[in-house]
Amino acid sequence: MRLHKVVRTLRFVALACFSIGTSAGVAEAVEDHVFEILENYCFDCHDDASKKGEFNLEKLLDEGNFDGSLMFENLLTGKMPPAKKDQPDTKEKRAVLDWLAKRKAANAPNSFRRISRHEFVHSVNDLLGTNLDVAAHIPEDRGTNDFDSNRKIQLSREMIGSYFSVADEILNHAFPAGGIPAEKTWVTNKVKDSHETYNIYLRPYLEGILFSWTRANNGNSYSFFYDNFDPPVAGWYELTFDAMKVAEFEEDVSLQVYAGKYYYADDRPQPQRLVGVISLGNRELKSYTIRAFLKPGENVSVHCYSRHTFRKKAPKEGAYIKQLTARGPVVDEWPPASYKMVFGDLPVEGEPREALETQGVQTNLQKVGGTLTVSSFQEGMEKEKMQDGSNRTFWHTRFQPTVAEPPHYVILENPHGAEIEGLSYATWSGGNGNGQVKGYAIHLSEDRKSWGEPIVEGALEIRLANEQPILFPRMTTSRYIKFLVTDALSLDGKSLASIGKLDVLTPLADQLETSTITVASRSSKDLQRVIRRFAERAFSSELSEEELAPYFRVGLRRFEDDSDFVQAAKVGLKAIICSPRFLLAPGEHAKRSYAKAADLARMLWLSVPDEELLDLAASEDLTGGTLRAQIHRMLGDERSHRMVRSFSDQWLNLRLLNKVPPSLKLYPEYDDLLNHYLPIEPRAYLHHLIQENLPAGKLIDSDFSFLNQRLARHYGIEGVIGQEMRKVRFPPEVPRGGLLTMGSVLKVTTDGFDTSPILRGAWISKNIVGTPLSPPPESVPALEPDHGEATTLREQIDQHKSNKSCYACHKSIDPYGFALESFDATGEWRGKYKIKQAHRGTFQYRQAGYFTWGGPVDASGELGEDKFEDIFGLKKLLLAGEHKVAYNFAKKYFEYANGYEPGLEHRLSLWDLIARSPGDVKMRDLLTEVLVYSLTTDEE
Amino acid sequence: MNHYGRREFLKFGAALPLALRSLDLRAATAPSTKVPPKRIIFICNSLGFYKPNFFPTKRGDFSTSPYLKEMTTREKMTVFQNLFHPGMETSNHDSEKSFLTGASSPEAANFVNTISLDQILAREMGGDTRFPFLSFSIYDRGWGCSWNNRGVAIPPMHDEGQIFDRLFGEEDLTAKRRQIENDQHVVQCLYRDMEQLKPRGGDPSKIDSYRIVIAELEEQLRHEEFWLKTKKPEVPNTLSTDQEFAFSAKIRNLFELSKLSFQTDSTRVITLSLDWIYGAIKVPGATGGWHTLSHHAGKADALAKLSRIEVDIVKHLNQFLSELDQIEEGEGTLLDHTTVVIGSNFGDSSNHTCNNLPTIVAGGGYRHQAHTVLEKPTPLCNLYLELLHKHNIDAGGFGSNTNDLGLLAG
Repeated sequence: MRLHKVVRTLRFVALACFSIGTSAGVAEAVEDHVFEILENYCFDCHDDASKKGEFNLEKLLDEGNFDGSLMFENLLTGKMPPAKKDQPDTKEKRAVLDWLAKRKAANAPNSFRRISRHEFVHSVNDLLGTNLDVAAHIPEDRGTNDFDSNRKIQLSREMIGSYFSVADEILNHAFPAGGIPAEKTWVTNKVKDSHETYNIYLRPYLEGILFSWTRANNGNSYSFFYDNFDPPVAGWYELTFDAMKVAEFEEDVSLQVYAGKYYYADDRPQPQRLVGVISLGNRELKSYTIRAFLKPGENVSVHCYSRHTFRKKAPKEGAYIKQLTARGPVVDEWPPASYKMVFGDLPVEGEPREALETQGVQTNLQKVGGTLTVSSFQEGMEKEKMQDGSNRTFWHTRFQPTVAEPPHYVILENPHGAEIEGLSYATWSGGNGNGQVKGYAIHLSEDRKSWGEPIVEGALEIRLANEQPILFPRMTTSRYIKFLVTDALSLDGKSLASIGKLDVLTPLADQLETSTITVASRSSKDLQRVIRRFAERAFSSELSEEELAPYFRVGLRRFEDDSDFVQAAKVGLKAIICSPRFLLAPGEHAKRSYAKAADLARMLWLSVPDEELLDLAASEDLTGGTLRAQIHRMLGDERSHRMVRSFSDQWLNLRLLNKVPPSLKLYPEYDDLLNHYLPIEPRAYLHHLIQENLPAGKLIDSDFSFLNQRLARHYGIEGVIGQEMRKVRFPPEVPRGGLLTMGSVLKVTTDGFDTSPILRGAWISKNIVGTPLSPPPESVPALEPDHGEATTLREQIDQHKSNKSCYACHKSIDPYGFALESFDATGEWRGKYKIKQAHRGTFQYRQAGYFTWGGPVDASGELGEDKFEDIFGLKKLLLAGEHKVAYNFAKKYFEYANGYEPGLEHRLSLWDLIARSPGDVKMRDLLTEVLVYSLTTDEE
Repeated sequence: MNHYGRREFLKFGAALPLALRSLDLRAATAPSTKVPPKRIIFICNSLGFYKPNFFPTKRGDFSTSPYLKEMTTREKMTVFQNLFHPGMETSNHDSEKSFLTGASSPEAANFVNTISLDQILAREMGGDTRFPFLSFSIYDRGWGCSWNNRGVAIPPMHDEGQIFDRLFGEEDLTAKRRQIENDQHVVQCLYRDMEQLKPRGGDPSKIDSYRIVIAELEEQLRHEEFWLKTKKPEVPNTLSTDQEFAFSAKIRNLFELSKLSFQTDSTRVITLSLDWIYGAIKVPGATGGWHTLSHHAGKADALAKLSRIEVDIVKHLNQFLSELDQIEEGEGTLLDHTTVVIGSNFGDSSNHTCNNLPTIVAGGGYRHQAHTVLEKPTPLCNLYLELLHKHNIDAGGFGSNTNDLGLLAG
């Protein structure tokens, strides 16, 4: 056997370092053996002379200090040595892997991490029985790390400060100091006025309104805001729509419900968020209820969607909504669940909760017994129109048969001298705008004769649809208030005035009925019991009196202030959820088993353990079969959806999905509804694979996915009616099934215009196949899609082939992306490229978009020796390496669960988990074993 | 509106430990004549500027720079050519982390950052204002230009409405006072628990790391408590709500908020990080992915669009500078008392290279040189060190500095 000079050199170095001693001797013998194997199987290609693939192992060994992870991965997953070369036997392979794993002792990760903002909010919600989505009130803390759990992320003062304030926010929601507001019900079938351009896409119908689908000229989804429902306090509201489909076509019509502030009566996007989707297939009225968390100042708006009803004037088809019934703030149990959760058996005393019904509209002016009179009016546009709760109807000064002479004014009578702070004005902006008030003056009088100087003068916006407040310099109790029009929009030179709504602002109107709840205890022992119970759940541990003393003390101190039991408990609870025992993981646990329970709950529920887990931890039974059974139980619990969402969002980079709005010139069909459902598909799919314990190969390909009407249409699949997500089976010619061909995943790798095989290829390499990527060498211009020229990208990419240093890496990156070229930047199938066209003047949305068709897509490529024609071929190749896919999933899940990348020794164990399983690697089994390994690996 | 105030206050960078000390000093040595305070702002345009459009081709002649020729405060600014961060000759987008710290190899897996320049300045200059410093970014991303003394990112604020509210919005002072008091008791409770944790065998590194942030929070509560006595300035809301050019409006608003903060002496130190690597944005004259376009590889149509975006940023910068210069203060203008540093972590983002970083220093009352071309590549930290000196901070060094070259001395 030829003994290589490198080995000699290294042995010399080794001798110099570990002069004598048995362990050094053993290490040396191992190294000799490993070098021999490397020499036999690797040096043929990777020595000084050949250095194939720019990889000169001989030189690296010579230098001694190199990162062997790529070599480790290639050897482990069987990529190297190549199949046609001599293969090391299992023992030899293991020897090299062991040596590599041991020589590169991973940088020890931090011994602890902070819990992420999502874990914080879920945990506190579960501890208190609340359901507030306030993670966005804590700053994003992940930075450029892949996972929230990363142990490199450290607490900062800013972060701890936001935990403090979000703790207050949730605690105040659970136990509001001022009592719980009465539940009210609002019924409305009026929508606020909107720009005249859009008013033609809805019309009065039966007892309500028929909506058709429209998009503003700039492409925004145009939604209509409901009037006469203004949430008085922040809370959960039930929104019930009595609605039906009015159309003959088979598909459902969908109703997107948003919450947001209404600002503009034109096509600018309103700052609002989607709170629910209602799928209308019924041709008889039916009630649909969704829940939304609303804040004061927000309104509810609707957007009807159906591909058949786009911009139908005076619509005959669409969504008919008879009325919206809003109820809230909703409290499901009385007293609220949070009291039971925290105070347990202590007697809770609460007044019965008031339920108030608001049928129709009562204006503030009506509430104070007032009336109004006007200078003149046109028939059909009387003064009452300002008080009917709608600004689609309006008061207008007389213009026929003769035009009324100015001054134009409205006088509000305040007969009982109520305190008036100002007026609330809303424009009528639906028509051509004629008569909208631009300037006003306010005069006061006690006798309706002498008015004196104006107390305030000002200007009003003419295109603002929302109420505009006019605040008086001081509160008044005057009997008469005159709103004098000093300037108004006139399109025809006539003197006119019109008003959609006019009302008084008065403190009386804002008073809220509340019900207070108290805990009937004056005992400090009770307070200590409450704090103990909460702390043991939050900290996942038994706790001694001594340990709890600081938390007792802070609560008791507050209790001494004013004997308010609930408020005192809140201070103790706040200290607990801001404690290092809660915010840092692992916490401080009386037994190792408690730490295990806490880890499990955090990994699978992003939360704290439930009673069952805590009981098992107390009896130290969280091992072996019981541990596995618990993981199974926890995966079956609703809370595991949080884990699936969190993991898939981070693993597949889906948090970036909404950062890229697709070009409406190229993808005119892209809309809010599609955007809403795209990321739900991978979550539903992954959850299903885990629940049903399906093979890991399903990550790559399957004959089903989770779709609804909108997604099915995007994918060109017939016969899926309704917007609820359901399992849909595909015939073999459908390229979908598996993560790679999901619209969300295909979209997230693009910039909204065009696709980049390099970025998509890199995404698959990193996230699915698990090939570590090195950054591109210096001074190589990056290639990214070149919008406008459709055919050049592939040619540019082909340049990678001609440059040896590019090709070494890109030959195993780009091909994945080639196969995905059959899908555009929104994930839709394409046979040809689109070429964007210019539009004249300002962009005007149109359904046909602005593009022409370019050259055909070439989705073929080759991975090593294997050629493929298209995505079907690529999936087959990837499936051939199913173990590799499972292994990569295991590595990602390990990183997600533990907050650091698995070191080489961990990877060996993870690989063993997979190699051990006969036949297919099943998803739930794999996930379970990764968790069991994570939880037991550091047990001595 | 009010309940946001406090939450946001706690959420983001606001107070630093030295605040109270400086306040005491001020009371003891109250100056008889009011000298306008010094302010400083750092703006990182993280995708850089296209060099041929940025640097004047004729030395010292702004009319030969397509970007800078329109600047109205030309006599109060200096463009520096040939500055770089050693150890960052080429890097990925993580290079932004080191823009204001000068720490090398920010892309490395085990990278730990160091304190940023603004934080050193805030420690000395921040005590007299309601906000010892402010840090802004375009979106919620967890990190920007500001890094604390442990190299931990200070999350920047990004929502203009909330920033405006924190700076100038009304507060329920009684509720806030009660809240602060409450939190102070909670902090004491946590200290007591920590005292017993270590002897019980708790992980010392964990407890120490927590103790540091709690101590910082305690200082902040004291700072907030002090400022309860002073009413916030009343300022009309002049923020743009333009949705058509939302990106452009956002940048304008962040500049506007910076101006208002300085003008009302609400803070004296600001950082502003401008980036967007996620797809298309729309500015007057162009729609495109800023990041995609920044990899222009010299192609004419990409460059045409990219310059529209960069021109838009320079336009807002120009507006900011000229507005500062129109606000009279003491013997000069607000600009004369405000050092404005505009730079980038990329020299050429098309190639991801970090040499010859585009850098402008404006205002601050320095004797400006219009255009300073350094003969050989010079560490940017030399200029940073000089800025520390200019603000009376006797730092032995900063980052990769070699020495204070007196670049702004004239």
